[in-house]
Amino acid sequence: MVIDFKKVYFNSIQLAKLGCVMCLMLGLIFHQVLADDNVQVQIQQPYIDLHSGPAGGFPIIYVAAKNEWITVLKRRTNWFKVETVKGVQGWVKQDALHLTQSSSGQAVKLSDGSFESFAQRDFEFGAMGGSFEGVPSMTVFADWVATENLVAGVSVTQALGDLSENQFFLVRVQHTTFPEWRVSPYVTLGAGQIRTKPRANLVQSGDEARTSDLLAAGLGLRYYIAQNFMLKLEYQHLQALTNRDENEDLEQWKLGFAVFF
Amino acid sequence: MEIGIRSFFLAMLCTVTSFSLYAQQGSQQSSQQEAEQSVIEPNIERRDINEANIDSENFEFGLLVGVISIEDFSSSMVVGARAAYHVNEDFFVEATYGQADAGETSFEVLSGGAPFLTDEERNFRYYNVSLGYNLNGETFFTDNLVFNSATYLTLGAGSTEFGGDERFTLTLGAGYRLLLTDYFALHLNVKDHLFNSELIGAEKTTHNIEYGLGATFFF
Repeated sequence: MVIDFKKVYFNSIQLAKLGCVMCLMLGLIFHQVLADDNVQVQIQQPYIDLHSGPAGGFPIIYVAAKNEWITVLKRRTNWFKVETVKGVQGWVKQDALHLTQSSSGQAVKLSDGSFESFAQRDFEFGAMGGSFEGVPSMTVFADWVATENLVAGVSVTQALGDLSENQFFLVRVQHTTFPEWRVSPYVTLGAGQIRTKPRANLVQSGDEARTSDLLAAGLGLRYYIAQNFMLKLEYQHLQALTNRDENEDLEQWKLGFAVFF
Repeated sequence: MEIGIRSFFLAMLCTVTSFSLYAQQGSQQSSQQEAEQSVIEPNIERRDINEANIDSENFEFGLLVGVISIEDFSSSMVVGARAAYHVNEDFFVEATYGQADAGETSFEVLSGGAPFLTDEERNFRYYNVSLGYNLNGETFFTDNLVFNSATYLTLGAGSTEFGGDERFTLTLGAGYRLLLTDYFALHLNVKDHLFNSELIGAEKTTHNIEYGLGATFFF
């Protein structure tokens, strides 16, 4: 019997990967089960409504009266699952939770992603769609907000045309002169690599893909929408440093959104 | 190229999960502090509320299994993964990855001749990012057995690798999410993947309809 060691090796890697993911998921679940947060608030208004689910459309299943203590169990978007002293569980909207006060007598005020929290963000993740040399392109990016003016990050773009497939990544820095503006322009500079592969039906045989270094400069606008969301619009001029006599100039337009934390 | 896409997804998954771990660590520390305080202070003295103590569950992650009908290439089983971020009660952003092995065209089957594609080229892989809209509701199995559920519609864009090429793909989908608990959901979904292909002669827009079952966790 011949054992294919390569196959066994790859299978074990796959298993290990799967194992890691499973452990991570189980860990997350158990953490939630074991977490004893015990955030308690007292209702200050005549009553607040408890819904059966985390959305306005779900029916009201219980009305908690003034001075009743409720325990906040968890949050889903801006709905909070609460439990009354009698053990009734339901979901209350964030606005309703703001009608309660904590034991120290302070009104409960949970941040809802304000423009102030936007100024204090650390990370941005987002996706953008647009046009790269007239071909639809998709970009995902992850950024680290170093200072209020400077952002550093990476982006990966894929543009699929009728003639070729392009993929490129960029390591970028972005500078905003007016971080205090809700709509704020920025400039960006980046460097990376581009991989271009002609369509399979255009090449006779073999893989004709080529990889070149890439430089990018761009101008953009970012707009803080609400909560932890922002919109981005960006124009990029790219230069692929090819092995041929001339470098290749490329253009990209893109529009997308980002979530920040 | 396939390695590129895989590593990109792995990277995205890592960033998402590492963030949630980071956030949970924070809440763990503060709940430890809370525990220490309550040993000293009497129970009547309730602490002022700390937002980090409220467990936020806006991310959803899970696996899906289904059947995809690949235009001209019969139907195949598809397996994939799904990650979503819930923006508010109505909207969510979802990323999915799936793979299938395409079958043979009816011509290949009937003629018994040379295959159009190699085995490698028959690998059908897709990824897409969609925006989804929830129609929230409840499902009554009996008078007393009630679960929260949502019917959702998605619209997205992504890429499909098939026949040695990657194609820009638009996706249209509809699904049904049944929440068995607050953090565990079952999905039934139908999704059409539209992309242009000239694998069979002239270029045309192909519809590749997938339907499947999924299970996801909120965290």
